[in-house]
Amino acid sequence: MSLSNLIKNWSSLRVRRPYEGQYKGKDYKWAMVIDLDACTGCNACTTACYAENNLPVVGKESFAKGQAMHWIRIERYWGPGDHMTEEFPQRGAQFLPMLCQQCEAAPCEVVCPVGATHHTPDGLNSQVYNRCIGSRYCSANCPYKVRYFNWWQYPERAWPNPLELQLNPDVTVRSKGVMEKCTFCVQRLTEAKNRARTENRLVADGEVTTACAQACPTSAITFGNLANEKSTVAKMWQAHQIKLASDVQEKDDTVRGYRIFEDLRTYPSIVYLEQVRDLEA
Amino acid sequence: MSSRILDRRDFLRVLGIGGAAATLAGCGNTSIESGKELVMSYVQPEDFVVPGVGVYYASTCTQCGSGCGIMGRVREGRILKLEGNPQSLISAGKICGLGQAGVQVHYNPDRLRTPLMREGDTLKPVSWEKAQASLNSRLGPASTLAGNQIAFLTGEISGHQKVMVEALLESFGSDNHVVYDALSTVTGRAASKAVIGESLPVLKIDQARMILSFGNDFLGSGVSPVYMAAQYARFRKAPRGTLVQIEPRMTLTGANADRWYAIKPGTEGVFALGLAHALLAHESYAHSLPAELEAALKPYDKDTVSEVTGVHAEAIPHLAGMLWEKSPSLVLSGPSAEGHVRGFNNAAAIQLLNLILNNRGRSLLGSAVHPFPQLVSATGSYSALVKLNQDMSAGRVQTLLLVGTNPVFTAPTFLPFANNLSKVPFKVAFVTQLDETAHQCDLVLPLLSPLEDFGTHVASYQPSGVEVQIQQPLMEKLYPETRGFGDILLELVKLRRPEVYKAFPDYYSYLKTAVTKAKPVFKATTGDDEFWEDALRSGVLRLDLPAAALESKEGASVVQVDTPRVLDTDVHYPFFFVPSVRADLRDGRHANLPWLQESPDPLTTVVWDSWVDIHPKTANEMQIREGDILEVQSATGSMRAKAYLFPGIQPDTVSMPLGQGHTAYGRYADGMGVNPFKLFDPMFDEKTGELALYATRVIIKKTGENALVVKDEGPTSLQQNRKLVATIGADQAQLAKENAHVTE
Ligand code: SF4
Ligand code: SF4
Ligand code: SF4
Repeated sequence: MSLSNLIKNWSSLRVRRPYEGQYKGKDYKWAMVIDLDACTGCNACTTACYAENNLPVVGKESFAKGQAMHWIRIERYWGPGDHMTEEFPQRGAQFLPMLCQQCEAAPCEVVCPVGATHHTPDGLNSQVYNRCIGSRYCSANCPYKVRYFNWWQYPERAWPNPLELQLNPDVTVRSKGVMEKCTFCVQRLTEAKNRARTENRLVADGEVTTACAQACPTSAITFGNLANEKSTVAKMWQAHQIKLASDVQEKDDTVRGYRIFEDLRTYPSIVYLEQVRDLEA
Repeated sequence: MSSRILDRRDFLRVLGIGGAAATLAGCGNTSIESGKELVMSYVQPEDFVVPGVGVYYASTCTQCGSGCGIMGRVREGRILKLEGNPQSLISAGKICGLGQAGVQVHYNPDRLRTPLMREGDTLKPVSWEKAQASLNSRLGPASTLAGNQIAFLTGEISGHQKVMVEALLESFGSDNHVVYDALSTVTGRAASKAVIGESLPVLKIDQARMILSFGNDFLGSGVSPVYMAAQYARFRKAPRGTLVQIEPRMTLTGANADRWYAIKPGTEGVFALGLAHALLAHESYAHSLPAELEAALKPYDKDTVSEVTGVHAEAIPHLAGMLWEKSPSLVLSGPSAEGHVRGFNNAAAIQLLNLILNNRGRSLLGSAVHPFPQLVSATGSYSALVKLNQDMSAGRVQTLLLVGTNPVFTAPTFLPFANNLSKVPFKVAFVTQLDETAHQCDLVLPLLSPLEDFGTHVASYQPSGVEVQIQQPLMEKLYPETRGFGDILLELVKLRRPEVYKAFPDYYSYLKTAVTKAKPVFKATTGDDEFWEDALRSGVLRLDLPAAALESKEGASVVQVDTPRVLDTDVHYPFFFVPSVRADLRDGRHANLPWLQESPDPLTTVVWDSWVDIHPKTANEMQIREGDILEVQSATGSMRAKAYLFPGIQPDTVSMPLGQGHTAYGRYADGMGVNPFKLFDPMFDEKTGELALYATRVIIKKTGENALVVKDEGPTSLQQNRKLVATIGADQAQLAKENAHVTE
């Protein structure tokens, strides 16, 4: 964004987001629902993300130092509290696909000294690689810990020939010193939007999806356009009584939807549906 | 970009792509071998290949035997990514992580690029001419080999590749096709066949109101996990079914259970009989078994069963009550119940519950009879390898051909397979990458990757009707000196049986002829070429056939009921040892794929390594902390790995994952962890003779050393009251209402 542009659009850039009706009448607001009762923890989504988004395999040593680059990871928990109450996890495990929540009020954005991470008009938290100077403030400020830093020049080591032939030409291969994270497969969204625009229409529900949602064998992930009230994702948000711009949801007890760390007022774009267990079993 | 281009791509997408471009690429590809036609480069913009635009071609995943239909995204002649093929009933547009990693088989930097021939102790690169000459001199018309002197050792194999293997053998008068599976499912299949009437019946997971699974990992390492996952997703929708899992070490499926029970390994049959005894108490189920069997179940009261199995006594009446109420149910047996000396009997006792609960014909159906039995998947066993080993040891095998299996890595220590292999004068391995077994062969032939080759496949599990899956190249081959498996075999059978095979210039034309000949069976009315192109375009030929009825002659009578006995304790080897099978690494054949090595094991989140699962309580008693290096010793072998404290394991049991511990399988596999196949004791199922993988006992010794466990998990394995994964009771959730809101 040029300085003149910045000054010209100052007022629109300074609005406090989100606000109610923010996306009303707008073309797109990308959002997701992840049904934790359908998620089996199988890791198909995470591998699909490696394939789609040119994620480097860092190797055992780097992984040990916490330098893994998995934009989406499956966390596994053995219980809600701080100790296990039973000898065995008798209700199974709790699996949590964790990826960038595309927060509407993203704590990562405000701390970036160079504006490398910012909000797009269609509601994504985007990362501009060639603007990033590697301060890593954003990562420190992300409550979900889903930002990944290029500690190494991965293009030199992660894809020995001919593995580099697999790289997706629609996605930048990141170099040392920049931050990266889940983009909601923005390259797919851009392609779909361009196609729709050429045809003078909007992207239809189900026309585009993320790599993780596409692979997921149980269809636990639903992706779509929240600005389109008729989209599946919008109907699910409604069914689960989640309002994008609220940080306290008024909803029935039986409704499963919730957003993680909502009380931090990050206004995430991902709604999770509670895991269900037959507690009489 | 002009809209014309986009339209065309849309058109391709709608069609499921494939067709003309794929066929052309295929012809060009194979023409290089035959030298008869114009060679067409894939990267020359043909019709439908638009620079900068990805197109999708249908094919079949060969990473496991499930036969998922896939779509390869190709751009500028490069395959970039695999997706599920929506036209495939099995994958329904979905794909697992293992399937995704298929592109790394293809682009693996450790791919074998030229033939290798043995010179003394080493394998030296040679030209194809030289390799072919060596093959021809041994296997050509002048060959003196006769009958079973020539053997073909394969993994699970189906379709026309299997036909070719058998045709080659037959040209010598040999029927020595040895099908080996290190993770053999023979015992479970045999019990299912005897009691239910079919070895792999159709499981209507989505129809069951309750699933009781004894170690069956249908969501992870089981048969057809992608199909099962979709079924499972429906099972979990309203009215939501209940899943109960009983096993010594939690599998991925167990981690998704509503209720998980830890059981002492090998006592699953006792538990099943205890449950059978309890079920018969209900008037609707009383007398559903022959009177003598019912009488024999008397000693299986809940307290005795609890003492033997280590499962809480109240679990039995509780489960019986649920099974009475939630009908139809589905009872599954799995490897951890079957891999014992009494494994067949365990599985039979488990299947007996399906009979009592009258699940046959409701949640358990017969599969359709396949119209092409010659294409049906050949099931691997351990006993096949034992027989081959004896033959090799006695000098009866003069030539051994190998594909899709790595027995030097997976055979147990007490089966001197590697030793006996050296007694075979001529051993030929067909591989995409060198492995431990290929290293010991005399000739190693570099295959096209599965994404460069043609083939047909028939999945071992056919969920409905029957399908023949089509595999086609998704791109031009990377290395000129690699060849298709079917092409190599065809060249050989052509030399031996020219009258039958000389009409086929290459495997492609053979396949096309064979597939189009089947046209009437698929009731197609199109022309031959159109039929073939349709098959390539959709990636699958399907035929809706009615399910066969499930009947068994033996039924309940095969179940042996002895007096329940508490397992002996072994003072030398106090722990039960069970392996865990990872859905991605399987028997170790996929340890060469970096995405899978870096993909955390779902249960422990460990990467790039082996570990020892030990219950925190046991660890505490022995003062073992995470990362302590333990020596795990069986009567057969011993190995070291780091301790990982894992609550989902029976406390007298330790577990290690299979698949790691390679020494000659490329940069991503070598030196990662250890190989527990070498720990197994010589214990066999008494009925089928299969190796009992879950019956070994071990002792654990602390070495005093400690190292970091490389894993994705953070400092805590608990949510620390953060509401990360919230859980709601099934009676509270309103799944039907949710669904209605979304579909309205
Ligand atoms: S692919 Fe689906 S089921 Fe598997 S871990 Fe990801 S979200 Fe869960
Ligand atoms: S989840 Fe983290 S990285 Fe993503 S928008 Fe929110 S704060 Fe930023
Ligand atoms: S289940 Fe098997 S066949 Fe299907 S995608 Fe996964 S590896 Fe491929």
